[in-house]
Amino acid sequence: MAILISFDIDGTLEVGDPPGPLTMEMVRIVQDKGFLIGSCSDRPPSSQRSLWEEHQINVDFAVAKHLLAGVKSDFNADAYYHIGDREDLDRQNALRSGFEFLWPDEAAAQPWFLPEK
Amino acid sequence: MTTQMAPESMYRSTEGLGVWEHRGKVASVGIGHSPTARRWDGRAETSVGALSIQALRTAIADAGVSPDQVDGLVLVPVTTTGAHWPEDQPVPMDVVNAFNPTDDPLDGVGQLSAEWIIKNMPELTNVKFTMYAPGCMSAAIVVAAQAVGDGLASNCLVLKGWHNLEGRYNHGGISASDEVPGSFAISPGRTLWGAPGCFGTALQFAQYCTKYGKNHDMMAPFMQNSRRNGLLFPEGYWAQHRPEQLTPEDYLSSRWIAKPANLFDNDIPIMVAAAYLFTTADRAQDMAQKPVYILNHASSRGVARSITPTLEEVEAETAATGRKIYEGAGITADDLSFENMYDGFAQFHQFHIEGLRYRGMQPGDALDFYQTDISIEGPNPILSSGGNIGSGRSRFWMHTDCMQQIQGRAGARSLTGVKPEIAVSGGPMPMGGNFTVWSATPD
Repeated sequence: MAILISFDIDGTLEVGDPPGPLTMEMVRIVQDKGFLIGSCSDRPPSSQRSLWEEHQINVDFAVAKHLLAGVKSDFNADAYYHIGDREDLDRQNALRSGFEFLWPDEAAAQPWFLPEK
Repeated sequence: MTTQMAPESMYRSTEGLGVWEHRGKVASVGIGHSPTARRWDGRAETSVGALSIQALRTAIADAGVSPDQVDGLVLVPVTTTGAHWPEDQPVPMDVVNAFNPTDDPLDGVGQLSAEWIIKNMPELTNVKFTMYAPGCMSAAIVVAAQAVGDGLASNCLVLKGWHNLEGRYNHGGISASDEVPGSFAISPGRTLWGAPGCFGTALQFAQYCTKYGKNHDMMAPFMQNSRRNGLLFPEGYWAQHRPEQLTPEDYLSSRWIAKPANLFDNDIPIMVAAAYLFTTADRAQDMAQKPVYILNHASSRGVARSITPTLEEVEAETAATGRKIYEGAGITADDLSFENMYDGFAQFHQFHIEGLRYRGMQPGDALDFYQTDISIEGPNPILSSGGNIGSGRSRFWMHTDCMQQIQGRAGARSLTGVKPEIAVSGGPMPMGGNFTVWSATPD
């Protein structure tokens, strides 16, 4: 089953400002498991890409926050998730765009982010 | 010592006042900046009070005076426009008591008083004049310049501090109330319940584009140039924390806040403080830095007919401001080496510079001008500081840049296409602000 995860950055990832609970190692783990991953943030797309490159993670997409719906049309997956920390710009936007939504703390508890045994 | 808000009589807000009586007789010498941060982390040493003390001490040392030579202090007591301390949140008394507190525990945490500064800078043993200015460093500069010119102080510190708290901007204060006055509810930026803060400017910008046949995309070179200049400003937020260029693609793909104003047409709130040391032209000769003479200060007090000013009102007011600036300084637009008018919101910078008739601009010309060489290396630099877009919300980068350029210490941001001799800076709003003319020479 193909799963796509869109990460907000600030308040969601450990490298965000403010830092969030999801570590870059957790991102690597889901990517190694075959998830499609990328970021959807108010940070400029060029700085999102720089951030991922800095951590040597080759993401599938990096888009501005209001362009989340386009990610769904660009990628074929069985399930689409967006993880973010804001009610309006993350949760409401995700649901409008046809994504499932997880708060960062909820997401961090998902078994996806556990390493393979 | 009781500190009063500066009286309106200290401002030069009408046309026809002639050349400023203290033209070239007041100078800025010392500059001090604190480090920046996105938000306060709760520690005493990073509070707005601590940052302000740091900026003040740096400015004193930079000017090469001893603290006991300082006899004046002008500051802005308000340290935010949208990060109001939540009423139900206790003030951290460990932070309050890390300093010499005043009767108000928010002093040094969410506001600043002259009393708090004096209590916490015991080396300032000779301050006899203190005064408050509203809102911005632009106002504090004007008040301090007039005060030194009038002889109320000889060596006067000028201070503006900013705090920013965790959480979202402008969701506290009156926005957190169950009820707000009607005028607050419908005015842009006053509360969470009204339109976004940039709404009024966006409306004027939309009218501007319609009237002159321009469009939002034409802002991209200005935005890119501003961020580039900001990244060359080592005191700024983006240079210190996120040295990212803002590409045209980044800018143009951003979401609308109040169409046609997008996310990047708004600035980013930060923690920071800056201070300057003003003195008389005579005293400045013996100080450690090259004096930057003040040729004039002028103020705008435009009154809109309705809640949101129209394009026509904005254009009339900025043109009047330009005339006041030149009249009091005894110069013309042709004498300006560069400009540092305010930019937070980005979309009113063109109103300010068209009002100045900078480089011969007329209303409707600025966005075409942005498509030409507006870099610090060219003959027509635009906003060499990078402003709030380039370094975060402080409303003072523009002033520091004017001083540093004229003093020859702007580093990698130094103008090379023009000789920095006379500049103008100020803001904030096209319909209301305070502006200063800076010069390498007193005449």
